[in-house]
Amino acid sequence: MLEVKLHDIGEGMTEGEVIHYLVKVGDSVMTDQPLVEVQTDKMVAELTSPCSGIVKEIRIEVGQTVQVGTSLLYIEIDEAARADRKSHVETKQSAEKKAIPSIKLGEKSPHMPFKRVLAAPYTRKIARDNNINIEDVKASDSSGRITEDDVFRFLQGKQADTEPNKDSRLTEVSQEIPNEIPFRGIRKKIAEKMTKSLFTIPHVTHFDEVNMTNLFKMREQLKADGESVSVSAFLIKALVISLKDFPIFNAELDEENNRILLKKNYHIGIATNTESGLIVPVIHDVDKKSIKEINQDVKELTAKAIAGKLRPFEMQNSTFTVSNVGPLGSTGATPIINYPETALIAFHKTKKQPIVNEQDEIVIGHIMTLSMAFDHRVADGGTAIAFTNRFASLIEQPHKLMMEMI
Amino acid sequence: MVVGEISQERDLIIIGGGPGGYSAAIRGAQLGLSVTLIEQAKMGGVCLNEGCIPSKIFTHAAGKRSETAHLQDLGMGTLDNLFDIKKLVTYKTKVIDQLRSGVESLCNENKIEIIRGKVTFLAVDRIGVENGHQFDIFEFKQVIIATGSSPIMPSIIQEKGERILLPHELFKLEEVPKHLIVRGHDYIALEAASSFAALGAQVSVVIDDQAVFPFDESINKELNRLFKKRKLKIHKELEFIATNETKHGITLTFQTDKNVEETISGSHLFVSGTRRPNLEALGISRFGIVLTGEGFVKVDGNMQSSIPTIYAIGDVTGGPVLAVKAIKQGKAAVASIAGQQTEVDLTFMPVIAHTIPPIVSVGLTEQRARDFGLDVRVSQFALGGNGYATITGKKEGFIKVISDATTEIIQGIHMIGEGAVEMSGSFVQLLEMAAKEEDIKFPHYAHPGFNEGLLEAVEGLIGQAIHAAPVSEKDLSTI
Repeated sequence: MLEVKLHDIGEGMTEGEVIHYLVKVGDSVMTDQPLVEVQTDKMVAELTSPCSGIVKEIRIEVGQTVQVGTSLLYIEIDEAARADRKSHVETKQSAEKKAIPSIKLGEKSPHMPFKRVLAAPYTRKIARDNNINIEDVKASDSSGRITEDDVFRFLQGKQADTEPNKDSRLTEVSQEIPNEIPFRGIRKKIAEKMTKSLFTIPHVTHFDEVNMTNLFKMREQLKADGESVSVSAFLIKALVISLKDFPIFNAELDEENNRILLKKNYHIGIATNTESGLIVPVIHDVDKKSIKEINQDVKELTAKAIAGKLRPFEMQNSTFTVSNVGPLGSTGATPIINYPETALIAFHKTKKQPIVNEQDEIVIGHIMTLSMAFDHRVADGGTAIAFTNRFASLIEQPHKLMMEMI
Repeated sequence: MVVGEISQERDLIIIGGGPGGYSAAIRGAQLGLSVTLIEQAKMGGVCLNEGCIPSKIFTHAAGKRSETAHLQDLGMGTLDNLFDIKKLVTYKTKVIDQLRSGVESLCNENKIEIIRGKVTFLAVDRIGVENGHQFDIFEFKQVIIATGSSPIMPSIIQEKGERILLPHELFKLEEVPKHLIVRGHDYIALEAASSFAALGAQVSVVIDDQAVFPFDESINKELNRLFKKRKLKIHKELEFIATNETKHGITLTFQTDKNVEETISGSHLFVSGTRRPNLEALGISRFGIVLTGEGFVKVDGNMQSSIPTIYAIGDVTGGPVLAVKAIKQGKAAVASIAGQQTEVDLTFMPVIAHTIPPIVSVGLTEQRARDFGLDVRVSQFALGGNGYATITGKKEGFIKVISDATTEIIQGIHMIGEGAVEMSGSFVQLLEMAAKEEDIKFPHYAHPGFNEGLLEAVEGLIGQAIHAAPVSEKDLSTI
C-alpha cells in the first residue's frame, strides 16, 4: 500500500485545499495518472500517481485544507505480492529491464483505468465546447445519465435536482432561492490574502498624474520603425529604475526581527484579471532586461495566466506589484498591497486633457493617473511622492530612460 | 553530411507516417493547416507494413482455411486442402502496396508535403532531417511526434537467429513452421497461435503463470477450451530460463508453474510482449521533455507535451499499443492546434483479437463490475442458439452482456464468435451512448443474422431470450 501525500508543488507552499478527486475508490490507476486537484494560494495543481495500482482509500474530503505531508489517499500497488514471489527471477533480469523504457502488451485489465462518463458523445461535445467539465454536471435522470438539457441547464448556472420524492407544493410557495457560487479555490485564496494584507498593513494611497504625451510620441516613432512595444513595458522599466533610487519600496518588513529587508532582486508582479480571478504572474530580474524583453515577458505571462498555464515559479518571489487597470477603464483606486511587499502601483486610464505647456499655451496632453499604495510602517508620504516624481520624470521625458540602459 | 545554413520554415510538422501520423496530417489539412509529414521508411508505418495489416492477411487466410470442412458440407472444395504460403505472401505484398499507395495519394490530394529522412531535434522549435548526404533544417510552429514503438527481446535471449521471430518478422515467413512456439498472452500472440495452427503448424503457447488473457473471464475460459480442442498446448511458465537456437530448430527452457524445469523444442519461436517507444534517435530528451515513469512522452488531454511546441501521439505516449488510439490522438492533436476543444477518452476502446473465432471486449468485465460493487446483472447468449450461426456453420462462441441492475445501464459487452469484430462497432456505440437495456431491446434486428445474438443476450438479462433454455427465478439472480 502506498500513501499519496500532499507534497510541496511550488516553493514555499505549506498547505493546499483538495478541490476535486479525479479518481474514486476502486479505480485502477496508472503511473503518472492525475489523482487529485489541489488549490494552493496561486494555482491549481494536479497530483499524479507514483505507481500503477488500485485506489483503496480516500482520506481527505473535498473542500478540506491540509498541510504539506498529509496523506490524501492510499493506493494498492499492482501485483505487489507477485513481485515478492518472483523477486528471485526479476533480479537476474532487472538491470537490463529497468534501463529500457517499455510497456507490456496484453495486460489491459490491471492497467487501464475505468472512469466512465455517463453521457453521449454529442452531449460531451456541448459541454467541452462550453468549457464545462461534464463531470460537474448533475443528471436529471436518477440513473446518472447526463442529457443535453442537463448541460444547457448547467450553462445557465442551474443544476438538475435529482432528489427523490420532492414535494412540488413546497417549491410553489417558497421564495426565489438565490444562485449559489461556491466560495473556494482561487476566489477564497484571494479573499484570505487581501484580508491579511489589509489587516496587517496600514495602507496609504497616494495619487498622481503623469503626462504621457512624449512617451506616446516616442512609441509612435518606434512603431514607424517597426518596433511595436506596449506602454506597460515602458512603465515597468521606469518603475524599476525609480525603485533602484528608492529601494525602500522594493522591501519587506520583517517585524519579528525588527528589520526591513531591502531586496536586491527586482521581480515585478503583474496583477492579471482572469476568468477564475486575480492572478499575479511575475517578471523576474526586470532590472536586467531591456524594454523589448519586458514587453515580451508581459505578453507571454499574461497569456499564460489567462489560459491557466502558469508554472509555479512564474508566480513566485515578486518584490513589487503593478496593476495596469487603465485598459479596463478605471480613473482611480485604493489598491491593496500584495503582502508582504511594501508597495503596489496601479496605472489608470490615460485621457486627453487640456494642459499648459512650457510656453504657457493650452494644448492637448495625454494624462494618466496613478494610485500608489504603500506600507506606512515602512515609508512616509514624502518618500512616496519623491518616488512617483522620479517615475513621472522618466515617463514624461522618456529620453532619460536612455541614461539607464544597461 | 553537409549542414545547411538556411533553415526552412514550416507551420506543422508531423514525424512519422503511421496510422496516427497520416490521419493527423489529413485531418490537419482538412482543418486548413499547412502540414509537412516526415517519414524515414514506408508510409503507413508498422501497422500497414509490418503489423496490423500483414497479420490480418494471415488471420484472414487462416479463417478461410478453417472453413474447409464446412465448404465440403456445402458441396464445395476438395479434401487435399492445399495451402501455398508463397502465394499468400504475394497476395500480402499486393494488398499492402495497394493500401500504401492509397495513403500516399490521399496525402497528395490533401496537399501534404511528404519529406523522407531521419529526424533529430536541434531545438524545441527546430529539427534536422537527414537523408543520405542531404541535411535540411526546418523551423516549425508545432511538431507532432508520431514515431511509434519497437519490439524488444526478453533479456534472457542474448542472440537472435532467424528462428526467433519478433512481431514484424512473423508474417514475413515463407514457410509454415513445423512447430511454432508462441511466447506471450497478448492479442498478437493469440492471433499468431490461432492462425498458424489453422494454417497447419503445430503450436505450443508459453504464458506467464500469472497471466490472464486480456478479455472477460468467460471468454478467457472459452478461449482456453477452444485452444485445447484445436490441440494447441498451453504451458505455464514461472521463470524463463534459456533458449538454444540451432540450424535445425530451437529449444526453450523454463521453470513451470509446478516448479519443474521443462524444455520444449520447435522449429520457430515467436516472442511477443514488450515494446519501447521510438524516442532515443530523436534526441528530444536533452530539451527536458517530461517523460512518464515508463519512459513515454507525457502529454495532456490535447496531446501537448511539457514543451508547448511539441505534441506526441500513439505508441510514444504509452498505454495500449494500438492504431485505434494513435488515430484518435492524432486527430485530437491537430484539432487542438487548429483551436478546437478536444478530448480523448480510452475507456471504451475495444480490445480485439482476430483469432478463430474472433474476440471483442468492451467496457467492464463481469469480475471488474463486481469489484466496483455494482449490482451486476449478467447474461450470456450462446451462438448455438442463433439461426444464422447454424446456417453458416459458425456456432462456436457467445455474446455476454453486463449491466447494472439498479440503473439498467449497460456496463460491458463481450463476444467470442463469428462477426465479433464488425459487431464491436455497435457495442462501442452503445456503451458510449450510456445505453440502457431498453435502448438495445427496442430496435429491430435483421433476421437471420449474428446481430440478433446481441438482442438475445440483453433479453437474457431478465431471462427473456427466445432461443435459450428457460431460466428459473433462482438461477436468474445468480447468473
